[in-house]
Amino acid sequence: MNLPVRVVKGSWQNWLGRVVLFGGVGLFMFRAMNEWSRSGLGLLTDALIIAIAVTGLNLITGYTGQLSLGHAAFFAIGAFTSAMLVTGKVWSPFFTDNIWTPGWTMPVAAVVCFLVGMVVGIPALRLKGIYLALVTLVFTEAVRALFKYGEFEGVTGGATGIKGFGYLPPSWTGLDGRADLVEWFFWLSLAILVVVSILSAGLLRSRIGRAMVAVRDNETAAAVMGVNLFSIKTLVFGLSGAIAGVAGSLYALKLTLVDADIPIFGLFGSVTLLVALVVGGAAQNWGPFVGAMFYVFVNDFARGVGEAPSDAAILGWFVDSGTKINGLGGVTFGVLLILFARFVPFGAVGTMRMWRSKLVQVVPRVPAVAGVVAGRSSGPLGEEGSGSVDPTPSSIGAVESPGPIDPDRPDSPS
Amino acid sequence: MSGDALLAVTGLTAGYGPVEVLHGLDFTVGEGEIVVILGANGAGKTTTMRAVSGMIPRQGTVEFGGVDISGAKPDAIVRAGVSQVPQGRGTFTDLTVEDNLECGGYTVKGSIAEDLERWYGVFPRLAERRDQKAGSLSGGEQQMLAVARAMMSRPKLLLCDEPSLGLAPLITKELFKVLGNLRDEHGMSLLIVEQNAGMSLALADRAYVLETGSIVATGTGDELLADDTIKEAYLGVVN
Amino acid sequence: MSLFIERLVNGLADGSIYALLALALVVVFRSTGQLNFAQGEIGTLGAFVVSTLTLSGLPVWLSILLAMVVGFVISAGVERVVVRPIEHRNPGAVIVALIGVFLAVNQLVAMFWGVDARGLPNVFPDQADDFVTIFGAPIRVARLGVIGVLIVVLLLLWLMFNKTRIGLAMRAVANNQESSNLVGIRVGTILVVGWGLAGAIGVLAAALLAPSAGLTGTLMLGPFLLASVAAVLGGLDSPVGAVVGGLIIGLTEAFMVGYVDFLGADMLFPVMLVILLVVLLLRPSGLFGSERVERV
Repeated sequence: MNLPVRVVKGSWQNWLGRVVLFGGVGLFMFRAMNEWSRSGLGLLTDALIIAIAVTGLNLITGYTGQLSLGHAAFFAIGAFTSAMLVTGKVWSPFFTDNIWTPGWTMPVAAVVCFLVGMVVGIPALRLKGIYLALVTLVFTEAVRALFKYGEFEGVTGGATGIKGFGYLPPSWTGLDGRADLVEWFFWLSLAILVVVSILSAGLLRSRIGRAMVAVRDNETAAAVMGVNLFSIKTLVFGLSGAIAGVAGSLYALKLTLVDADIPIFGLFGSVTLLVALVVGGAAQNWGPFVGAMFYVFVNDFARGVGEAPSDAAILGWFVDSGTKINGLGGVTFGVLLILFARFVPFGAVGTMRMWRSKLVQVVPRVPAVAGVVAGRSSGPLGEEGSGSVDPTPSSIGAVESPGPIDPDRPDSPS
Repeated sequence: MSGDALLAVTGLTAGYGPVEVLHGLDFTVGEGEIVVILGANGAGKTTTMRAVSGMIPRQGTVEFGGVDISGAKPDAIVRAGVSQVPQGRGTFTDLTVEDNLECGGYTVKGSIAEDLERWYGVFPRLAERRDQKAGSLSGGEQQMLAVARAMMSRPKLLLCDEPSLGLAPLITKELFKVLGNLRDEHGMSLLIVEQNAGMSLALADRAYVLETGSIVATGTGDELLADDTIKEAYLGVVN
Repeated sequence: MSLFIERLVNGLADGSIYALLALALVVVFRSTGQLNFAQGEIGTLGAFVVSTLTLSGLPVWLSILLAMVVGFVISAGVERVVVRPIEHRNPGAVIVALIGVFLAVNQLVAMFWGVDARGLPNVFPDQADDFVTIFGAPIRVARLGVIGVLIVVLLLLWLMFNKTRIGLAMRAVANNQESSNLVGIRVGTILVVGWGLAGAIGVLAAALLAPSAGLTGTLMLGPFLLASVAAVLGGLDSPVGAVVGGLIIGLTEAFMVGYVDFLGADMLFPVMLVILLVVLLLRPSGLFGSERVERV
């Protein structure tokens, strides 16, 4: 058998591969639900929620090349929107007693965040790279400050936040009546992640998706080719914000409280989302999921490194059980991040793709035009080179090449 | 192929990542010679320059003044006496003209005051603008600055990467006169890669023709100027 | 009036700290185009080193100098060991690595020095009666000292960049790495020195801040964020911009607390967002930043 094996997109082999992949993940989820402990399942649910938010971030940062450190703000806005609606803090004519059914607050959060996102997209027209990133970061902290503001306490809960709400499973799920909501939120998060991923993938296959990538690779060229930069940037910021808002809404309902001081609603959250995106693989369909899983579980593992609850834990080999070394967990996680960036620089999914393409390559049905996808397709997290030409794409996600590189037409300067 | 040549290159192979651009080049530059490597877009001209200057990984042998510099780092190559005028000028746009020249003399131990005066003398327009930011100079002036900067390191061999690129014909003529002077009055050896066949071949003592990473022809400047295939391919002359 | 002067000096003093940090960020950005996320934490680490050294008997100024050397080494090491190999493969992944360094250094501090707050002696006279009176306002000598340090640092940096060979090399590398290689500058060495310098400045900023803010692991978290905003405000490749930006932010903070009653200190970020947006929408590369012309 000749490596790499060429598989035509859409063929039965291609579909078989997809079934195997999705089936495998689905199997994993079933097993988790049946065999994992409550806390493990809760952790997995958190990972799924983060994956939803990162899917949104992936749209604007991974695919459209606009670096956003502001998605924790959308997460927070979504969370607070749900909290405020469910507890009746915000007047609304749609439900009696002003109390919303929790499930309906999620689409509302999405709409609110979409509108806010579109507004955030406006500065993106003028600002590039790190400048945009910092503005979005300040935006995150500004939003959080607004939620904390004493004068708004009646609506947002101010310094103490909002407590005492939740989302009980409806009867048709068969999960109602239980005291333990872990399973319910697990399935809900999984379902929403699947829906969001499908919608996102669909968007990327459309004309808008192509426009997004064109903007990332070369804005000026994209504009010249007829892409309306204003529309694309505001639309995609809106959509990605909406998705992050849904995640936040879910998070609040699961947590049953919101508080402006929760780290994930601020700078820390934005950084977490970005790290998860890059670690998983930006501009990859599976990137957000893998990245979120990595983040949540490796973080948990690292925390455990610093504590030696039993002799079995790694630290238990060196010190007595019960000791806790302050900070060792954090150092471990930090070092792991560094190692990851060093050895898996294109994210887990990007790197796995590169290995996989040595074995199996998915090629389009129409014969590919020979030539390199090259050029300076630098994403926002890859600064423009100083005049040096690199025929290998240097975006934050490994771009799928359309076919083998033709050595007779290298894209280097004379 | 060594012996008298100042620069002797054998089997030079280089590329970018998985793409090989140069497929084993052989060429020499003798003392006091101007050698031109002619090539169209995509032939590998800049890659050749970068390989000789040590900017990219390369295989093959590069001997300079009898010393093997095949694996040397860029700063060592400059100290050995090879200086490059990069494509597109490569001036330090935010630095003043004088700063640029001082950078050129970075590797020189001791005072560069005399060198500064000397090259200000050769390029009086630079002297006039010595405190101006290099980025504000015209294309031709920046090219002169790039040449002067390269000369500040007291090289024996000057590499020029497409010096005529982006310059008006009149300026190019002046520039090539300067390059010729460097050979005649300052005893420099020059290796020039160019697309502009007419002017460079007239200046050259010897020349090579580079096509998609391989040398396909060689001869004296006059020989190649008279060659019909060269004329058609590079001078647009149809016979 | 005296209250105004007091607030003005406080704003300039805090602003000087932000300016120093912002300068460190700009030095790094100019040469490598990266924002050193870990800059603040390296500063915090350095401040704890100062604490340990002073507790073992060394004079404060000497401890600070030694800690600055430590900061230099760590920061230089980060460039060489973390940033450079990753930048080669994927510049986008450098952010993640720097966040990793941020976390590791932050937690390293917790590991070695614990999580309890401690004090740090001030290199300037800081007793209750160490103040001068300007226009009727009692101004602490220590605060003026911080502003003085900024001025001295600016002077030294200016001298270094404009009058020394290595400063010339650093300016060249910041402008055009490839040409720097071609004139024989060892670009790798220069990058390492640049980062090291930034690290030392970060430690200095932390050591100046800690005496009044208290020395804890979170010492530089807020200031780093504010310094980043300052650097962006002023233009990420402009040292002048960094200083101006830092002072603007310091003054905004000081006057907001005092004069804008209905907002209060917590609303600093919304106010800053507005300022940032106004400035950047008019000048997208910051007040003093240079527009990079893109070749399409």
